[in-house]
Amino acid sequence: MINQEYMKRRLSRRQVLKLGGGLIGLGTLSAILPKALLKPVGVEAARDQQITTPDLHFAASDGWIYLPDPAIPPYHPDNMAPELLTTYIFGFRNVTGLTDQQVFAQKMKMQLAAPTWWIDQEADFTLKITNLGLQIRPDLIDAHTLHFHGFRQAIPIFDGEPHSSVGVPISRNLTYFYRPHDPGTYMYHCHFEETEHVHMGMVGTVFVRPLLDQTLAPRRFCYNDESTEFDREFAMMLNEIWTFAHWCDSHVQLPEWSDYLPDFWLLNGRVYPDTIAPPGGGTDPVTGDLIPPTGRPELQYQPISSLINCNVGDRVLLRFVNLGYEEQSMRMTGISMRLIGRDATLLKGRDGTDLTYMTDTVIVGPGESADAIFVAPDVTPDDGLDYKRFFLYNRNANRISNGGAPGYGGQMTEVHVYPASNPLPPQTVPNT
Amino acid sequence: MMRKTNTTQYLKDRNTVWLLISAVIVILILVATVVGTTTHRTMAQTAAMPNHGIVCTSNPSSTFTLATTEGTISTPDGNVIYMWGFAEEGKAFQHPGPVLCVTEGDTVTIIVNNTLPKDVSMIFPGQENVQANGAPSQPQFDTAGNLTSLAPVAAAEGGSVTYSFVADKPGTYLYESGTEPLIQVNMGLFGALVVRPAAHVDWAYNEVVVSGTVTYTTQFNPDAEFVLMLSEIDPMLHAAVEQGLPYNMNNYTPRYWMINGRSFPDTIAPNGADWLPSQPYGSLIHIYPFNDDPGAGEAYYPYPALIRYLSVGTENYPHHPHGNHGRIIARDGNVLVGSGGEDLSYEKFTVVVGPGETHDELFAWFDVEGWDPVTNPIPVVIPQLQNLTFGTFYSGSPYLGNTDQLPVGHQALNACGEYYHIAHNHALQQITAWGVVLSGHITFTRIDPPLPNTCE
Repeated sequence: MINQEYMKRRLSRRQVLKLGGGLIGLGTLSAILPKALLKPVGVEAARDQQITTPDLHFAASDGWIYLPDPAIPPYHPDNMAPELLTTYIFGFRNVTGLTDQQVFAQKMKMQLAAPTWWIDQEADFTLKITNLGLQIRPDLIDAHTLHFHGFRQAIPIFDGEPHSSVGVPISRNLTYFYRPHDPGTYMYHCHFEETEHVHMGMVGTVFVRPLLDQTLAPRRFCYNDESTEFDREFAMMLNEIWTFAHWCDSHVQLPEWSDYLPDFWLLNGRVYPDTIAPPGGGTDPVTGDLIPPTGRPELQYQPISSLINCNVGDRVLLRFVNLGYEEQSMRMTGISMRLIGRDATLLKGRDGTDLTYMTDTVIVGPGESADAIFVAPDVTPDDGLDYKRFFLYNRNANRISNGGAPGYGGQMTEVHVYPASNPLPPQTVPNT
Repeated sequence: MMRKTNTTQYLKDRNTVWLLISAVIVILILVATVVGTTTHRTMAQTAAMPNHGIVCTSNPSSTFTLATTEGTISTPDGNVIYMWGFAEEGKAFQHPGPVLCVTEGDTVTIIVNNTLPKDVSMIFPGQENVQANGAPSQPQFDTAGNLTSLAPVAAAEGGSVTYSFVADKPGTYLYESGTEPLIQVNMGLFGALVVRPAAHVDWAYNEVVVSGTVTYTTQFNPDAEFVLMLSEIDPMLHAAVEQGLPYNMNNYTPRYWMINGRSFPDTIAPNGADWLPSQPYGSLIHIYPFNDDPGAGEAYYPYPALIRYLSVGTENYPHHPHGNHGRIIARDGNVLVGSGGEDLSYEKFTVVVGPGETHDELFAWFDVEGWDPVTNPIPVVIPQLQNLTFGTFYSGSPYLGNTDQLPVGHQALNACGEYYHIAHNHALQQITAWGVVLSGHITFTRIDPPLPNTCE
C-alpha cells in the first residue's frame, strides 16, 4: 500500500510534516518543526502532478482500550477483551511510513482518541486511509471514511460522507486532499454508519495553523490575529463511552440508540486519573505497534495525555472538540480563560467588534469546537511538589465519575503550573 | 433492550435497514420526479407549493383561523403516530402547524377553534402586547390559585379564542400551545411565524452593519428561504394521549427526531409529497454556488440562503450542515447587531438550537477551488470502481456538473452532477428512528451546478 516513490520536489516538507502530523499519535517528543520547511507549496506546482505519496497515512480498524473499575457486568470489562484491556472500539491509527506488512499487522490495534494532526493554512495536504477490516466482527463489511468536520467549501469527494460520495471498503484505500484556507480547531471522524462508528471511537482532533505562524515565526497563533498568540497548546477531545453499546458490537448485537446512557466520559480517550499519565512511547519500528506509556501497559492504545504542563506567565491554548453525543461544561478552577474561537472561527465581528469573553466554563456541544486561552498565574508550588495544581473538569459533575463509582474520574485533568525559578523547557508538540 | 416486536427486531438487521432506506429513497426520488412539475397536492395550503423551501400561509389581512385537529403521521420505520395539530379551518390535519408569514407592522389575528378533548391555548414567544378576545392575554388560574394555562384558552370540544398582536419586529418565531405544553407541544400543537421587514421582503432584518466602505445586510435569495423546525416524539406519550391514559413525564423518552415534522429520508421529499399527506413540509436545502460577479450571466447567484431554525424539543440540538459554515444573524427574532451598530453575528459549523429557540442563518457555498476535469483536476487519483463503495447521491464524478461511471446496478439518484452535503444533528443517537439508523434529524443540502445546467 505504501508507494515509496516520493516526489522529489516535495520530499523535505512532506516528510517533515509526516513527522509533525503524526507526533501525538506516535508520542514522539524530539522534533521541532523548522519553520522554513512549513512554507506553502506553490499552488501551480501542486497542480502539475498528481500526488501519489500522502502526507499522512491512517489505518481504520477495530481494537481494545482500557477503562478502570468498577465492573458493570456483563458489559464492563468485556469478557472478550485481551489481557489488561476492557473495551472494544473502532478507531484510527497513524501508519505513515510503515511497510505494507506492518500496516496490515495493525488490524485490531486502533487507538482512542485517534491521532491529533495539524496542517498549515494554504498548504496542500493529503491523507490516505486504509480500511483493515474488523478482526472481531468478520461478519461486518463496513466501509470507513474520514470526515474533516467543519472544513469550509468542502466538495463531497473529500468530505467523507459516504452517501454524497464514496466509502473505503476493506483492504482498499482512498486519499483525501485538503487545501485549507481557514485556521482554527476542527475535528475528524468516520462518517460511515456514523451513529455506531463515531460512538465506537473513530474520533480525533485536527487543526489548521494560521499563516501568521509563518510571517511572525517562531511565535505561534491560533488565528491570524496577534491576540491569539500562545506558548503551549492542548487538544481536549471529549467523548463518551456507553459500555453496553461497545459490548454489543463485540457480541454481535445492536443497541437501541435512543436509550443512549454512557457510563464513561473521556478526555483524549482516557478517564481521570489516567488523563494525566504520560503520553505513549511512539511506534515500535519493528512491529509498527504502539509503545505504551512508561509503566502503563494498559494505556497502550490510549496514547494521548491531557496533562497541561506550563510555566508561570505562559499563554496556554486549549482546543476543545466534542465528538460525544452530549453537551459538556468544562470548568477551570482558579484560572479564568478567554474564549477566543468557536467552530474554527475567531470571535470577531466583520467590523472588528471583539466578541471574545472571559469565562471559567467552556460549554461544548456535540460537533462543536471552542478555543480558550489562559495565562498561567504566578504561583507557589503545592506542598512537596515542583508545581501548583489546578483542575480542568466537567462541571456536569456526574461526568467526573468512572462508571458511577465514588471518587473522581471521567472528564477531568490537571494543570501543573511551574514557577519561574524552575521552568519547563518550551513545548515542542501539543499535549506534552 | 428487547422491548420491540420480532418484526422490528428484524428491521434492525443492518442489511434490511439499508435496503429499506434505499428503497424509500428511490421511491421518493422517482415520485418527486413525476410530481415535480405539478403545483398542488392534497395539502392544507391552497397556494401553489414550491418543491423545496418555505411554504408560507399568508393573506392580506394576516387573519388566520386555525382549528385544532387530530391525525396521524408516519415515520420511516413504518410506525404511525397519533398527533394533535393546528390546521387552517376546514382543512385536513397537518404536522407541524402552518408557517404563518406576515409583514412587519401587521396586526395579526389568530382565531383558534378547538375540537380536542382538552382546553387549548396559544402563546407567541417574542411578541408583545398579545390580546386574547380583545383583552390582554393573561395566565389562567383555577379557583384554588393553581396555574392552568399560560394564556386564555379555547375550551375543549368546541371552544374558541381570538388572539391578536402587532408584529412589529421582523424575525423567526414560534407559536405553540400554552396549556399543558409538556403534553400538547409534544403532541404537535406548534408552528412557525415569520415576520418580514416591511421595506425589504428579501431581507431577514432591517439592520445593517457598516464596516469601512462595506455594508452588510441580511439580504437573502428569496428562492432559497428555508424553515427547519426541529422536534422530537416520545411515542409512548402519544399512545397514552390517544388512549386517554395518564402519562408520567418522568418517563419521557424521545424515540423520533423530526425536521418539519418528518424524519429522514422523508425530510428530503418535496413539499406536499402525497405519500406524506399530513406532513407537508420538506427540508431539502436547494442552492447554487455563490457567485457575485454581475458578468457571470445566468450563473450570477449573489445572495445566500436564509435558513430559519426553530426548536420545540427538550434539549439543545447541535445541527451540523456539511460543506460550509453559516452565519448566525439573529436569535429568537433579535438581530445580532449591537446598539451602536456593532456586528455581533458569528459563523458556526454547528448551529446549536436550544429548546424554544430560533436561529436565523445565512448560508452559501462557494466553489473556491474551481476543480475542473480538464483545466484544474483534483490532485489525487480516485480509485477505480471496484475499490470503493458508492453513495446514493454521488454522481460518479468529483466535479460539480459532471457525471461519470458508477458500478452496474448502483442506485444512483444524482440528476446532473449536482453536489449533496448532509446536514444533521451531531448528537448522533438522535439521527435514528426507534432503532432504525440513518433517520431522524437529517436533511441534505443540494448544490446544483451554476446555470445554465442540465438539471431538471
